[in-house]
Amino acid sequence: MRKLLTGNSAAAWGARLAEVDYLPVFPITPQTEIIETLAEWVDRSELDARLTTLESEHSMVTAAGAAAATGVRVFTATSSQGLLYAMEMLYNLAGWRTPLVLVNVSRGLSAPITLEPDHNDVLAARDSGFLQLHCATCQEVLDGVLLGYRLAEDMRVRLPVLVNLDGFYLSFTREPVIIPTQDQVRAFLPPFDPGRNRFRGGEPVSQAVAVLGGGTYSYFRYQAHLAALEAKKVFQEISADFKTHFGRAFDAIETYRCEDADILFVMMGSFATKAREAVDRLRDDGRKVGLLRPRLLRPFPSQAFVRLLSGRAGVAVIDQNLSTGLGGVLYTELAAALYPLQRRPVLVSYVGGLGGRDITAGEFYAMVEEVRQAVTTGRVPPPRLLFTESEMQSVRGLQRIAGGKGRDA
Amino acid sequence: MSEQDVARTGKKRRQSPLGAGTPMCAGCGGLQALHQIYDLVGDKTVFVNAAGCMTLLSIYPFTPFPGSWLYTAMACAPAGAQGVRDALDVLLSKGRIRPEQDQLPVVLTGDGSAYGMGLSATSAAIDRGLDFLYICYDNEGYGNTGHQYSAATPTGARTATSRVDGYSGVKKDLFTIWSAHRPAYVATAIGTEPADLARKVKKALSLRGPRLLLVLAPCPTGWGFEPARMVEIGKLAVRTGIWPLKEYSDGAVQHTMVPSKRVAVEDYLHLQGRFRHLFVPVRNDDKLAALQLQVDDYWSHID
Amino acid sequence: MYRIRFHGRGGQGIKTASRILGTALFLEGFEVQDAPRYGAERRGAPIFAYVRADDAPIHERGVIHRPDLVVVADDTLLTITPAQVLEGIASASVVLIYSVRSESWWRQQFPQIGQMVVLRPDRGTGVGLPAGIFCAGAAAALLGTVSREALVKAVEEELAAHDSALVESNRQAVLAAYEAVSVSHGMVHSGVPQPVAKTAAPAWIDVSRDAVDIAAPVIHAGTTSRLVKTGLWRTRRPVIDKEKCRRCLQCCAWCPEGGILVGEDGFPMIDYEHCKGCLVCVAQCPFKAIRAIPEAQAKEERDAQASDRQ
Repeated sequence: MRKLLTGNSAAAWGARLAEVDYLPVFPITPQTEIIETLAEWVDRSELDARLTTLESEHSMVTAAGAAAATGVRVFTATSSQGLLYAMEMLYNLAGWRTPLVLVNVSRGLSAPITLEPDHNDVLAARDSGFLQLHCATCQEVLDGVLLGYRLAEDMRVRLPVLVNLDGFYLSFTREPVIIPTQDQVRAFLPPFDPGRNRFRGGEPVSQAVAVLGGGTYSYFRYQAHLAALEAKKVFQEISADFKTHFGRAFDAIETYRCEDADILFVMMGSFATKAREAVDRLRDDGRKVGLLRPRLLRPFPSQAFVRLLSGRAGVAVIDQNLSTGLGGVLYTELAAALYPLQRRPVLVSYVGGLGGRDITAGEFYAMVEEVRQAVTTGRVPPPRLLFTESEMQSVRGLQRIAGGKGRDA
Repeated sequence: MSEQDVARTGKKRRQSPLGAGTPMCAGCGGLQALHQIYDLVGDKTVFVNAAGCMTLLSIYPFTPFPGSWLYTAMACAPAGAQGVRDALDVLLSKGRIRPEQDQLPVVLTGDGSAYGMGLSATSAAIDRGLDFLYICYDNEGYGNTGHQYSAATPTGARTATSRVDGYSGVKKDLFTIWSAHRPAYVATAIGTEPADLARKVKKALSLRGPRLLLVLAPCPTGWGFEPARMVEIGKLAVRTGIWPLKEYSDGAVQHTMVPSKRVAVEDYLHLQGRFRHLFVPVRNDDKLAALQLQVDDYWSHID
Repeated sequence: MYRIRFHGRGGQGIKTASRILGTALFLEGFEVQDAPRYGAERRGAPIFAYVRADDAPIHERGVIHRPDLVVVADDTLLTITPAQVLEGIASASVVLIYSVRSESWWRQQFPQIGQMVVLRPDRGTGVGLPAGIFCAGAAAALLGTVSREALVKAVEEELAAHDSALVESNRQAVLAAYEAVSVSHGMVHSGVPQPVAKTAAPAWIDVSRDAVDIAAPVIHAGTTSRLVKTGLWRTRRPVIDKEKCRRCLQCCAWCPEGGILVGEDGFPMIDYEHCKGCLVCVAQCPFKAIRAIPEAQAKEERDAQASDRQ
């Protein structure tokens, strides 16, 4: 069935088709539509799951992990401040090695508080042990949830998976989405087998037990890391299987018109479709430009990036996030991945789309031009915030009303 | 009798279900109560723990529990119990486990979590009517970090963060806060009144819904007394009226042990290092009288 | 550099002892590093503390693997965990043992100890003070680089929060111990750094992924804590007198450890492998049928019984 769905609705459909058992929830904009949709299905007995509203995201993620540790399939969702409020438990659940899917609807972090998206929320969780899938379309949201369960529940992995979509640009945006049949999904995603780490009366199991000593701690943390690395291989198998079942690709990295491209955009999330559009227009103009978009951010597909970027002339890395005092996160991670290469492409770092700020076609074209000049001259420009003169004038206007003197005290 | 006697003779008749060998302090009043409670709740339980002294009951690969255990974090043990209960209900209703594989989620936290960081999660678990048992071992301070004052610390007690004049606040009335949620059952208890404790645990087990036990845990380390005096101090906490034993159910509060003639509060205080400053170098009559008055005032409202 | 390792039990003033020695060395102009090390164990459980002192700034940190001086504040530790207490000692290392037993007895027990000093508990000075303060005084004398004045000043600084009577008794105790080992003054020599060539290479391995049922911090068994012998924490043991015991079994209920079992004959049996020696049972027995005896005495009685049977 092909239907117009919002990204939030697509996430709910993913959970429904995965036949989840348990839905610990808590409302937050722009995620709330997901839990409202699921709550209605549960009330109408269209989804045989238990839904519990917790009093915070911290408790919500705790309940999610505890239920997964008991042995049921769990889905939960949050956004932004909620993800950060739950952060302590994200690390815990990964340490418990409990498989589940958490959908995060990205939204810029406070302060100042705002509603529109960027990726600082989800990137704050990048070291938590949650694997991360990043979506660019509503279809990918549904597909990502299904893939997420296969990945999380694979016995070689057994880590929680975070599926990310952008607030507003996907969460509230309708696009045609193919909703697979329940039978199709069942053929792809078998029922959850909790294995031996689960609670049953009459069988003593202690989970999430404290350790003493750095050696034991190192072992367990590193085991989670090894499982995450193993997830690269497992993801390849699962995405190939996904294509067989559904006819759609969900590769670790989307490659868009990259074959002969000498300059590439690298970015993630829904704004990357704007880059696709820009690539098409630049190709119309005869420029050899392409796009690489990681769907899999954890584990980080380093080798795939090396393979795809080896021999290219230049890359514009567009980060919709900002690591304060460092710069763009994707830029830093990509630079680290490419360091072993003998012939590395020129990397130019751009930070754009913070708090949902638009990235215009003209800006994509200008970035390609800057990268081309950097390649020609060998002079790499410093990182740039995508921010225009008119935006500055607008801020100045606001500041005049807000008062203040504009001098360092 | 030698170390080997117990193992060699094989003539043990009754061994405590909860295993020995934990790192709790010698003379821990909380552990003494937990043994009695565990004897009754049994091993078809998942103990869901919040950060506190008893987090160290289970240190990999050692656990005293013959049943199950899940450590969560300081703020959220009741939410963990919610997840376990909900998951078991789903498994039961979908026929994926047999009824005899069901378990009771039991939250186990100290006062630091119960009176403070975890209170929101507890309140919400009661709102939701969660079918669980909550055991708070109340040693009146953040014991596991060296006994700083918490919202459970009594007036005047010296702690690591009130070293000079003692705690200036008043012990929070968690029993009343919990009861105000109108859960199935709330009780105060202490391990040194075993009959009262056992009756309350049995009563809690006979009910469904949120059931909460607030257990005073005399703490040799944090309160400053010889471990051997743990039981004596626990009994004095009751006989002085400082720790009223009571229960809430069906909207009413009942006192379960009313001391016929209350022992003077200072008989309890002077045995503990945390109150020593009220007696030496000079006796602080005003403060001692004020502490006695707190207790008298409480009991003047009780029939 | 001097590398000094203290071994004792929670409650014996080991941290304070290490700090007094650290402060005394600091007052003498040394660069100093001191730190206690304890795990989850509590009062009565074995703990360590470290003191390093050198003329140059100290870059080493954490556990001392090659001590110049090992201070054993509780001699029962030598019998229960000798491997830990004597770890890394060389022929030049000095082992100071605070014990009622003689040096010849200890030498017989531990011939591998090259240099040994036994400090006998003083029957006159500082009765009731924990072992730590005596060990601090003796250790200072063995180093030979700490004056009485610096030692006393260190005691005053470290015990500044306590009342003057307590400071005075500790001052006397630390000096008494200092004098008691005066024949061995300066016996400890500052250790030399381990040369690179003599340092063993680490046996690194490449860790591979394990199955999740063992790769997560999960215990798939119950009551494994019984393998932990918390009886080692005990310095005094409760002993039941079956003549006086009326089998009321109150002791079973009061025991915080669940460490008193009931035998077939209905008498309580103390699980000495786990009894931490809190002595609640001694205090609560209505028939005064349980008495407390020092562990050392218990061992003597056991040894005597064993030789009787031979």
